[in-house]
This record gives sequence, C-alpha cells and structure tokens, in this order.
Amino acid sequence: MPFGYHGCYLRIDVLTGHAERVPLPETSLRHFLGGSGLGARLLLDEGGAATDPLSPAAPLIFAFSPLVGSPLTTSAKFAVVSRSPLTGRFNDSLASSGFALAGKRTGCDAFVIVGRAPALSVLVIDDGQVRLEPADDVRGEACGVAEEKLRARLGADYRIASIGPAGERGVRYATISHDGRHAGRGGSGAVLGSKNIKAIAVRGTQRCEWAHPRALTDLSRDLSKRSFGPATAKYRELGTASNLLTFNRFGTLPTRNFQTGTFEEAPRLSPQELGVAHARTRSSCVACTIGCEHIYALGKSGVRLEYESLFALGSLCGVGDGAVVLRASQRCDELGIDTISTGGTIAFAMECVERGWLDEPWLRFGDGEALLKAIELIGRQEAVGQLLAQGSRRAAAAIGHGSIAFAPQVKGLEIPGYEPRGLQTMALGFAVGARGADHNRSGAYEVDFSDKVDRRNATLDSVRHAIDTEDRAALMDSLILCKFLRGVLGDFYAESAQMLCAVTGWDVTAEELHETAQRIVATKRQVNLLAGWTPAEDTLPERFLNTPLPNDPEAMLSRERLNELVAEYHRQRGWG
Amino acid sequence: MYVEFLGIPRERAGVSEVEVDAATLGQLLTALATRFPAFGSLMSRDGLHPSLAANLNGDEFVSSPQTVLAEDDHILILSADVGG
Repeated sequence: MPFGYHGCYLRIDVLTGHAERVPLPETSLRHFLGGSGLGARLLLDEGGAATDPLSPAAPLIFAFSPLVGSPLTTSAKFAVVSRSPLTGRFNDSLASSGFALAGKRTGCDAFVIVGRAPALSVLVIDDGQVRLEPADDVRGEACGVAEEKLRARLGADYRIASIGPAGERGVRYATISHDGRHAGRGGSGAVLGSKNIKAIAVRGTQRCEWAHPRALTDLSRDLSKRSFGPATAKYRELGTASNLLTFNRFGTLPTRNFQTGTFEEAPRLSPQELGVAHARTRSSCVACTIGCEHIYALGKSGVRLEYESLFALGSLCGVGDGAVVLRASQRCDELGIDTISTGGTIAFAMECVERGWLDEPWLRFGDGEALLKAIELIGRQEAVGQLLAQGSRRAAAAIGHGSIAFAPQVKGLEIPGYEPRGLQTMALGFAVGARGADHNRSGAYEVDFSDKVDRRNATLDSVRHAIDTEDRAALMDSLILCKFLRGVLGDFYAESAQMLCAVTGWDVTAEELHETAQRIVATKRQVNLLAGWTPAEDTLPERFLNTPLPNDPEAMLSRERLNELVAEYHRQRGWG
Repeated sequence: MYVEFLGIPRERAGVSEVEVDAATLGQLLTALATRFPAFGSLMSRDGLHPSLAANLNGDEFVSSPQTVLAEDDHILILSADVGG
C-alpha cells in the first residue's frame, strides 16, 4: 500500500453492526487524496448522491488524509461528507484535532457509515474492530458532556465525535463536534442522528509510514517556523473576531438579515471590547502551531468565538450585547447547531415578524433574550423552533408572502458574513459553490480585498480569481491542511506537491495537484447533478440583485451581471 | 492625509488613526514605520507584507509604493486575510 495511507476504508452498517474493510486503489488515492476529495469520490461510489440523506441507506463518510499524523502543522483534520439534509446537495464539513489522529490509527483512511442502529448508540471503533454500545447515559447531553462521559466509560485514549441534542432531534443544520470543534455546515449532525448514532469513539495503534521521513521533518520544521510569522499574526493575536470591525468599516458587515452592511453597535462586539468584560485566553488544535482559538470567559466556562458566530448571532440579528452573543454561541455549541445557519434563519424570521408575516411578536431584531429563546426552541424543535429548525429556505416556503426573496441562503445553505453586493467576487463564489453559500470552499473574499478586482463592480476577469480560490480550497481540504496557512505558503501548488511527495513518495508535480483540485471540484458537481441540481440554483436571493446596499449606493449587483459571471464560470470550468 | 489602521496594523501602531504627510504610498509606509517601529516590523523590502493591504478612500486597494496620494486622501491599512 502507498506510504501515508492504509489503503482501505471501513464500511460499517450500524443496523447489523457488520463492518468490512474495502480496498482503496492507489489510483483513487492519488486522484482524490483524502478529506473532501476522497469523501466526494466515496459518496459517489456508495450511491449517496441520489439517496435521501436522512434515510438509513444514506452514507455518512469520515475521511482522513495522507498528511494526518504527519509532523506538518495544522494537519490533524478530518472531513465529514454526505448529502446535506439542509440543501439536498453535496456537503463536506471539516473539523480538527485528536479525532483525526485516532481515527486514522484505527487502520483506515475513511469510515463509511450506513444503516440505522436499532436504538440510540455509540459506535466504537477500536483499532479496526467495530461494536455498538448503548447511548442511554448520554442521550440529550451536550457534545462536551457526552465526550467526557464516554471517555470515562471507554477509556481516556478514545477520541469522540458526537452530536448534541439538536442532532438527536433532527435539526437540519445540526453539527458533529469533537473537543469543542465542529464539522458545522450542512447538517451532518442530523445525518448521524438519523442513524441513531450519538457518538463515534475511536482509538488505534496502526500508524502509517512516510516515504521520505527526513525530508518531511525538514519541511515540517520550516513550515512551523513560517507559521509563526506575519501571515498568521491576525489569527494568533486577535482571532477571526477582528474581521468584524474591518467588514463594518467597508460597509460589508451583514446586518439585520442583510438589510444593510453597517452595524451601529459593531464596536461593542470587537475583540478589544469583548476582552474588557470577558477575559480571553488562547488555544489550538492538536498539531497546530498557529493557535487561532480565542476563548472568552463566560461565567465559569469559556466560549470559543469566531467571526462567523459573532456576525451571525450579533449584527445579523441586530444584537450588540457581547455577553448575549457569547451566550448564544455557547448554546449553539452545546445544542450542536451551526451558528451561521442558526443566526441566518433567526434573522430571517425576525424580518418576517417585522413585516407581519410571522406571528411571533417577541422575536425582534436587537432583542438578545429573543435570540436566546429562539435558539432554545430550535434545539428542542418546539413551537416556532420546529419551523426554524428546517432552515431559512424551508421556513420561507412555509411562511410564503414571497419571503424567499430575502431568505439569506444559496441552495438552502445560509450565507456567511460577507455582504455580496459589496464583495462581488465572493458573490459569485456563493452562487456557484457546490455546497451552497460558502466562505470556506470559495476564498473569493480575499480577491475582493485586493487590487486584483473592483469589489463593487465584478467583471468577467473576476471569474478566474474565483475559480483559483475554489481550486486551492479543494486541494487544502483534501490534503488536509488548515486554510489559515494559506498566507504562509509561497508557491501553493509546488509546496503542496513537496509535502505530498515527502509523505507518499509519489513524484507528484504542481501541475498534477492543480488538476487534482479541479477534479475534486468537478466530482462535487457530479454529486450535485445526480442529486438533482439545476442551473437555476447558481444564483443569489432577490434581495442581493438590482438593489444597492443602503449604506453604499455604489455596491450594486445586477441580475444580468451575476448571470454573466455564472455563465463565464461554467464556461471556464468546461461545464458548458 | 489621514491613515486608519484595522486589525494587526492597529495592534502594532497602537492607535486607530493618525495624520501623516506623504506624496506616495511608499513614502507613507516609511513615515509610519518610523513613527511606529512595531508597525515597521510588518513591512517587507517592497513595501507592505503580503499579509497586509492598503485601501484608498474605501474604494480601491493599492499596493504599488509609487501610488500617488492626495492631501485629502484617507488610507486604510488592514490585515489582508480578512476571512475566517
């Protein structure tokens, strides 16, 4: 088998408890690498593209990568891949830390989980041996609590990925969490919950060998050293929460369901202000030298706060109280729900209330208590929470009145913290993304914040930049390396090839890796085609088209222009 | 002219804004590096480190040290990797 891999995946039927090792040909590994790429390939091979994601037959894939377990910084990551219950389209979400390392040491490059367990269970994978155990003692528990209890039961050397109460109840944007980190977007937690699996516990002793250990060590030392430099200073010193003031300054901070791009209370939500009332500490994933996690004290515990949670539960809902936003983020983590989709769906509901289309008069923009109450109702799927647990697109279908025009989603996935009218390369990235509106699979916002384009007037030249960021993201998610390293890498494809060669021994070139990236993007599209994708999905909600941003009249994207950009994207991709 | 710092540049400069006189972007950055030595650590040989960005009047992003500046320009200096 190739260096860096075990050469197989474990296919587990949780109805029967039966597990089989399925060989992975080296050509497949070289063509799809690992993580999102391998996950996309396996999803197709397992017939997942056309299967209801919440049915027992639907495959849920955990994919590792050749770099997992290597000394390369930020490589302790895994991808969770399935068809999304929120969008019905391809979904890949990544999380970090020990589960990736322990999972790969079970002796497999991926797990594919099918079936539905007879009762709520814990799936235990012990050095490749599989069994199901009852989960009654962790039923309804927050992810962190479930992890602690299960490690106490099974052994401290186990690593646990779990769903919260929201995943057990089928909230369509429920997460899978491990050690405070989340495979957040797209509802993979609901998929795992539909299989009656509360948690997956892994441990193992089977390590891979590296083709060129000395070269790998040298590369790793150099990469680690560079990871301490200016390119990662923002993550280390301020965290992603520092984005909020920047976006507000440029009028691109989504506010009150994307009604405008500036939030008058933004300064109250800056890391500096939050840090006054809430002591801040830093943390990092296993095997990471960057240390991007900023934990804010809240009562006796701490809340890891990222920009996306800060915007989604703050400005997007009109809430400027830092303590409320921290508490809201904490509850989302405990319940196991994606903060972007939670905030987006609640903000949408707030606007429907404002317009008199949703009879929940308590649910108002700017009301922190209302925000917290809505989160609880979503987590329990009670009262209006039942509707909101379906996401903004389904909620809009139920509410009617043409509210879909301002449901902040693409393909059903709620839009992250980038105002499309003021960041038009990003707007294109949102429209065409395989899993929906996505800032991780398209890094096009970086192009908008550069001298390469006019962010308020995208031209066809913007398209190749959007494609470039999409390809790079696909490769990083398949190698797997953290995107916070992207500013550290010089020649991205060449350096990636060096790392991959040191691990696998393949004489891979930069050109080959670029082709691999494009293949992975195309494979995700293939999943979507089989899942029923139509060209009409590659667009933005009406709110973002033909109407300028109120705070920036020059920021306007016409439907005609967006259609031209999308058509050019498909043409450059070779998709007709 | 008026310089506004965001993100890491603000941390290094220790202030959120300052008034400076300079005819070009290159001269501006040199003046800032002199006034705020910690900010100077963010400079590369050719100007701003690639992890930083400079924006003119909230409109265009600029990177060439030869970029001509006007007396009433408002320059924003920020972390380039705005996402996350």
